[in-house]
Amino acid sequence: MEVKAELVGSVWKITSKPGDQVAEDDVLMILESMKMEIPVTAPKAGRVKEIRVKETDVVKEGQVLVVLE
Amino acid sequence: MADEYKSRVSDLHARRKKNLGMGGAQRIAKQHEKGKLTVRERIDLLFDKGTFVELGLLAEQQPIRGIEPAPDGSPADGVITGHGEIDGRQVWVIAYDFTVMAGSMGAVGEQFKAARVRELALRYRKPIVWLLDSAGARIQEATGSTFAGTGWLFYDQVVMSGVIPQVAAMLGPCAAGTAYIPGLADFVPMVKETSSMSLGGARLVKAATGEDVTDHDMGGSQVHCYESGVGDNEVDDDAACIASVRRFLSYLPSNNSEPPPRMPSDDPPDRLVDGLDKIVPSNPRAAYDVKRVIKSVFDEDSWFEVKPTWAKNIVIGFARAGGHPVGVVANQPMSKGGILDSDSADKAARFIRMCDAFNVPLVYLMDVPGFIVGSQVEKDGIIRHGAKMLYATSEATVPKITVIMRKAYGAGYYVMCGKGYGPDVVVAWPFAEISVMGPEGAVNIIFNKQIEASSNPEETRAQLLNTIRAQINPYLAAGWAMIDDVIDPAETRRVIIHGLEQARTKKVDRPWRKHGNIPV
Repeated sequence: MEVKAELVGSVWKITSKPGDQVAEDDVLMILESMKMEIPVTAPKAGRVKEIRVKETDVVKEGQVLVVLE
Repeated sequence: MADEYKSRVSDLHARRKKNLGMGGAQRIAKQHEKGKLTVRERIDLLFDKGTFVELGLLAEQQPIRGIEPAPDGSPADGVITGHGEIDGRQVWVIAYDFTVMAGSMGAVGEQFKAARVRELALRYRKPIVWLLDSAGARIQEATGSTFAGTGWLFYDQVVMSGVIPQVAAMLGPCAAGTAYIPGLADFVPMVKETSSMSLGGARLVKAATGEDVTDHDMGGSQVHCYESGVGDNEVDDDAACIASVRRFLSYLPSNNSEPPPRMPSDDPPDRLVDGLDKIVPSNPRAAYDVKRVIKSVFDEDSWFEVKPTWAKNIVIGFARAGGHPVGVVANQPMSKGGILDSDSADKAARFIRMCDAFNVPLVYLMDVPGFIVGSQVEKDGIIRHGAKMLYATSEATVPKITVIMRKAYGAGYYVMCGKGYGPDVVVAWPFAEISVMGPEGAVNIIFNKQIEASSNPEETRAQLLNTIRAQINPYLAAGWAMIDDVIDPAETRRVIIHGLEQARTKKVDRPWRKHGNIPV
């Protein structure tokens, strides 16, 4: 399952790593946009398979940030 | 003679009984199998016990242009019409009966029965509720160019808009033309799984475009309450749907010339709001759930959220303050940081206009980092959508109370009823940040040259950033008397209730015009 950016912004802090087991609503990373920290959460429980961005990257709306399995 | 009298009366009772039986036991069982209630069970839930008065029970499909009616008749012609009471107030109903010709809209049911309800509800200035479970137009009666004489229902709905509340409860399919009934209604609850709406039903879509799709996949609540925003609240079943209709109407007057009904509350108007320090984080960039703020400020158990699952970065809904209904518009930092975008602006604008039309005061709880900027949102028409919210807030002449909780940036401050938009009370919490833009953006624009010329640009930038930051505090705005006060967050409830009381006699005169031209 792909977790996408809800809006344009930059990656401020990555709080998960490949292999992590996550529950629904766990914070995977925090984006920064428009003066706000915007948590990116797991839509469902699963395991982090891949993180496709690194801190300070600028991401577009709809861009895949994390792949869960 | 006595026999003749009796037989005529018993004939009447037999006719009534037949039509009260809807489409017969078999079709009723089928309706129940789908997890749906029958139209008459729904009406029983909608109205206060024993208050329903039916008009047009004896209606039946009539011979039309050579088409003979169904041999076993079409009880009530597939639509139950009449009026009853909700919390003691008269409300009219048009309820489609799926057990009779799939609830299709026939000539009798539509042109006479439903039309009569629309006429009388408007004549008496009482709300209308549609209970929708209908295959759409009865094609065998409607096909051909006598279509030229149809379409009054939407025209009537537009005439009634803003005069009487209109609710379209989605309890089954609602395909083709009928989908404009919810499209024009003020409140549209949708039952999960069983309800759907689309401009063309699945069979028509297949014929028209070749697309293979089901009614549910195309127009179920998972589409309209989450993606399109046409549906308001997704509910689990028919009973929950009808309960939401009653709840919605409890906040509105019967028409636009009455005040909304007050409901006495045991919650003291002067109550200090506890626990906000545990809800709102001290880090101004961190998110929190604004619904927790709403629930703690307004009368206990009075919060009724509308469109909770669509455009979640803004929260709208009804609550009561000291017993009086209010419409709440609150930014939601939990979703997209509370940033305003096209959908959230649309969502708020339509709600604000509904509240204004029906004399429901507005309370704005502001924590907005601004409107989203960038190339993608410009393609989406953010200016046009954002302008709707600007328009709606300016246009609203009901009492307006603005509480600046935290962020109040740029046009976000305007559309959330900043000083320029006629609030009756505008106050800020001590951590309020009111500014045209954030310090990081401002420093680069104002001091660009100074930073570039510096021998240590980063240090200069940091110093200047602090200079700007120091100017973003509510006491500057309060010092200029641009806002009415800075308040302890615990005082929020009291300030709102006193503000509404202050504005009770509000009257705003505007220059005459036919109507304004809202951006759409």
